[in-house]
Parts: sequence; C-alpha cells; structure tokens
Amino acid sequence: MLADYLMASVVAVIAGLDRTAAFQFMLSRPIVAAPLTGLLLGSPLTGLQVGALIELLYLGRLPIGAAIPPDDTQVAVGASAIAVSTGGALGLAGFPFAILATLIALPLGKVGQLFDRAARVWNARLLAQAEADINAGRLETFEKLHLRGMVHFSLCSLGTYAVIVVLGSLLLHGVAPLLIEEVADAAGWLTLAFVVLGGAAILGTINVSRSMTLFAASFATAFLMLWLL
Amino acid sequence: MKEGRLSRRVLGQVVWRSFFLQASWNFERLQSLGMLYAIAPALRVLHQGEDLVAACRRHLEYFNTHPFMASPVLGTVLFLEEQSDDPDYAEITEFRRMVMAPYAAMGDALFWGGLRPVAAGVSLFFAARGSLWAPVIFLLFFNIPHLWLRISGLFRGYVQGLKVVELIQRRRLPDAAIRLKEGMIVLLGGLCAYMTFLTLRGEDVATGLGFLVVPLVLLGGRLIANGFSTLLLILTASALITWVIWIF
Amino acid sequence: MSIVLARIDNRLIHGQVIEAWVPSVKADCIVVANDQVARHPFQRVLMEAAVPRGIRVEISAIEQIAAVLGSDSCRNGRVLLLFASSEDALKAHRAGVDFSELNLGNMHAGDGKLRYSCTIALDADDIENLGRLEEDGVQIVSQCIPSDRRQPWRKMIRTTS
Repeated sequence: MLADYLMASVVAVIAGLDRTAAFQFMLSRPIVAAPLTGLLLGSPLTGLQVGALIELLYLGRLPIGAAIPPDDTQVAVGASAIAVSTGGALGLAGFPFAILATLIALPLGKVGQLFDRAARVWNARLLAQAEADINAGRLETFEKLHLRGMVHFSLCSLGTYAVIVVLGSLLLHGVAPLLIEEVADAAGWLTLAFVVLGGAAILGTINVSRSMTLFAASFATAFLMLWLL
Repeated sequence: MKEGRLSRRVLGQVVWRSFFLQASWNFERLQSLGMLYAIAPALRVLHQGEDLVAACRRHLEYFNTHPFMASPVLGTVLFLEEQSDDPDYAEITEFRRMVMAPYAAMGDALFWGGLRPVAAGVSLFFAARGSLWAPVIFLLFFNIPHLWLRISGLFRGYVQGLKVVELIQRRRLPDAAIRLKEGMIVLLGGLCAYMTFLTLRGEDVATGLGFLVVPLVLLGGRLIANGFSTLLLILTASALITWVIWIF
Repeated sequence: MSIVLARIDNRLIHGQVIEAWVPSVKADCIVVANDQVARHPFQRVLMEAAVPRGIRVEISAIEQIAAVLGSDSCRNGRVLLLFASSEDALKAHRAGVDFSELNLGNMHAGDGKLRYSCTIALDADDIENLGRLEEDGVQIVSQCIPSDRRQPWRKMIRTTS
C-alpha cells in the first residue's frame, strides 16, 4: 500500500506543478489528474469516477488573481489513490468506495490553501535574493532562483497530498466498513447531488445574463429527447 | 518574418521559458521574476554590461497577467527593447504596467471562465459513459487554443510590436468569452439531463421526476450566490441522502 | 444610481472584478475613478476592451467622478466603483461620492508598505486615509473575491501587526 501512495505522489508533484508553477496544460484538473493516478495504480476507471465527481463539483471555479481556491488537484490525486489502494486493502474497492473517498478528501483539500500560501510566501525570498544579486551586478543567479520556486510548489503539493492521504485513509479505515452498504444503495443519488451542485455552483457565480433560463431550457430539451427517444 | 536581431532560436527559448512564468509566483511582485526569467535569453542578446543590468532591473518590477496572455506581452516587450531609442526605456515600463490588468481580464474570461469549463463539460459526457477518452478529449480541446496563443502570441508580439494590442482588441475577446460561457451553460443543461436520465433509469424511478432537478439546481445556485460554500452543501446533501436511504 | 460596490484595487479592471464581483453584486456599469487612466487614451481603450458588451464602462478623473455618476449613462445603473488607491477613495468621498461601504481588494506591496494579508499592503498614509473615511461613516472591509471571508479592516490590522 505504501508503494502505491509513493507512486501516486509522483502524479501529485507533476499535477501540483502544472497547477500554477509550470506549463498549465491542465494536467492539474481532476478529470485528468485522477484517471492518471488510477492508471498508475492499475485502476484508471476508479480514477475516472473520482475525477468526474470532483470536476463536476468544481467546474465553475476560477483561479483568479491572487485568490487561492482549495486544492482540487490534490483532492483528486489523493482520493483516487485512496480509492484504489485503501479500497483494495479493505476489499471494498468499487464506485461506492470511490464516492466515500472523494467525500472525505474534499474537506481535507482545504489544507491546500495553507500549503499553497506557504509556497508563495516562501517564493518572496527568491525574489529578494534575485533582486539583491541583480543590483550587485550578478546576473548568473536569478534564473536558478526563479526555478527554485518549483521546489517550493512541489513540496507544498506533497504536503497537501500527504495530509489528504494519511488522514483520508485513516478515516476510511474506520468509517468505510460501517457506511459502505448505505453509500452503495445511495450511489446513484449521490452522483446526482454532485451534478446538481456542480451546475448550481456555475449558475450561482457566472457573469452571463439569463443563465438560469438558458440552463432550464437546455435541460428540458435534452431530457425530453432522452425520455422520448 | 522581418529580420530582427533576435533569432528564431532565441525566441523559441523565450517561448519555452514562458511555460515557467509562474514558477516563483509570490505575493510581493507576483510574476515579475518569471517575466525576467522568460525574456532573459533575449535580453542577453540585445544588451550588454550595464545596459543588461538595467534591463534586468526594469523587468523585475511588479507584473501579473494571465499566464497565456503573457506571451503577446513578452513579444511586444522584446520588440520595444530592440526598437526603443528612449535611453530610460520608460515606454517599456509603461507598456507592461498598462496591459497587464486588461489582458488578465481577457485571459481569465476566455480561458478560465470559458474554454476550460466547456472542454470539461464535453469530456464529462464521455466520463459519464465510463470512457477513458474523457481526459484525452479535455486536454486536446483545451490545449490546442492554449498552445496556439502562447506560441504565435510571442512571435506576433515581436514582429508587430504595439500593433498586436490592436489585433487583440479587434477580436473582442470578452464577447467571445461570453459566447463560450453561454455555450457552456447549454452544454451543462444537456450534461445534467443526461446524468439525471442515467440515474433515474438505474434507480428504476419514474423518468418524469427528472424535471425536479431544474428547481434543485436553481435553488442551489441561489444559495451559492448568497455565499453558501459548495463544499458544505455537497457534504450536507450527501449525509442527508445516505441517511434517508438508510431509513428506507 | 446606486453604488453596489466601491472597491480599492490597484489593478482596477481585471479578472476578479469582471468574473467574480460583477455577477455577485449584479453590476451593469463599471466606473473607474483614476486620473492617470483618464488622461491616457491608449490605456482607456485597452481597459474598455477588457469588458464584455452589456456592461458599461466609464473612466474618469477623480474630480469629475460625481458628475459621471449623476450622468444619464449611470443614473439608473448598478454601479461598481473602482479606485486604485486609498487616497483616491478619500478624495472622491470628500468630493461628494456617497458610498457607505468600501471593499479592499488588491493593494500591492511597495516601498514603505507593510503586508497585512496576501493581497493587501498598507503604509502610514493608507492607514490615515482609511481612518478618515471611517470617521466619515464608511465601513471598510477587506475581501478579495466574493467567496473569501469578509474581514473588517481594523481587525485585519490588529491581527497581523
């Protein structure tokens, strides 16, 4: 199990860097990071389920300016790793366990805000050092200093990931055997709750006029077509 | 392409480095060190000695914009670095200061507010059917425009200088973003309908009840607009649902 | 005319304003009160180009801001008013622009400024200006985007200094 979590930490770092520091190819989005984790641990479909749930919920969240949202990337990686690894160890792996892992990882993702903030505060030292060097006419150091910020972001991603994985798997060891049957019965409805709230989060925050009308019309049309055909 | 003093190789290096623009993002000056890092290879060609030190200082000033929209800014900055006959290069500092916020607004609207949710929405249809193509489709959908802007933005900025600002203005990007968002809402309606339909069929419940999802989404939207956190709502809803199922 | 949000943001119009605050306070008119931008045609045009159709933008010097707010284009609108600094906010308020609450969004670091939160750094002048606004009955709250917690500025200053 430890080996699984260590392997997944590679995705945690790569996706964590993609989130802010480098590339931004959106490997950091749950819909990518989670199946990637699952793939590495031998169960891409579990990862896809976790990723889809988190993506649905946070579809409309914007990384704007200096405001830092909860770390949905590490939630996706951590929940997928837990769903595959701890789920397998407990003999409970499956969609209900994936939902449970996601629900437990989501609030733990809040610590990501602290870690992310720490990385950005830490980076200020790099800037100060680079500025001092440049003012002294030394131009060989600032590029290395800049790139060192990636170490800070990586460590902070790992920190968030570790908190989610350690606390999450401990909690699930206790909670999952008690709840898994109920969650299995409720799985369909729980998925629907993610759909409803993900949609609500977008409609509640988007700057498009008449978005509610547009949504209702589109839903009704699509639903009628599915129903009648 | 007109003959500037910067070779394609150097410009290519700047493009590559622009992917690391935010590696040292901090609350003091945000992307400033990243900006300097990205254009450093070009500055080393254009300036020597004390001039180079001055150029580095100039670009260590406060800077922050959308990471993709930074490309045309970097391009234009290099154009100005090469062409400017102002000994203080005040024009460059001014240009950086003026464009960063409006470009950030355009990039946020277009990429974070528009393209990313649209791409995710499309890919979630695949995810709902359990298809592992979902992440691939999401990445393609998002990254083709992303890479196009980052790469061509830099070259165009360098070749056209300040004219690239006009070019971007004419595209009316904020309006395009609104169109994308409207498309995203239509897509979201379809996605919600599809997933509701699948759930109801799976649970063997009268399909017509699916229309109840619309008022639920609208209610949730009202709550979230009034400051309720999505996280709190999903945890509460999940606990309620599980409890109700347990009772029955 | 009603001012639905008055905000100090050194970035003026950017993503947080357009993507988050405009829908949250249902603004349909953004008024930028800034001498420098008002004087600079290139920057004006750029700033206007960052806003989607359907939202009006007025950019004006601080002195004329009361007149702009009373003009036809804003009179029936829901106005989001932006300042770049505490000094500008105080000047406008003293010139008769009436807002009862002032939001602190981004006030970035600089020489002599002390950081009080991730996005807010103030110097002695800022604190004096904000104090005067408070004496005039303006409630001053720090909140970067609507989903952040609202924090009274006095509390913010106390907890970090």
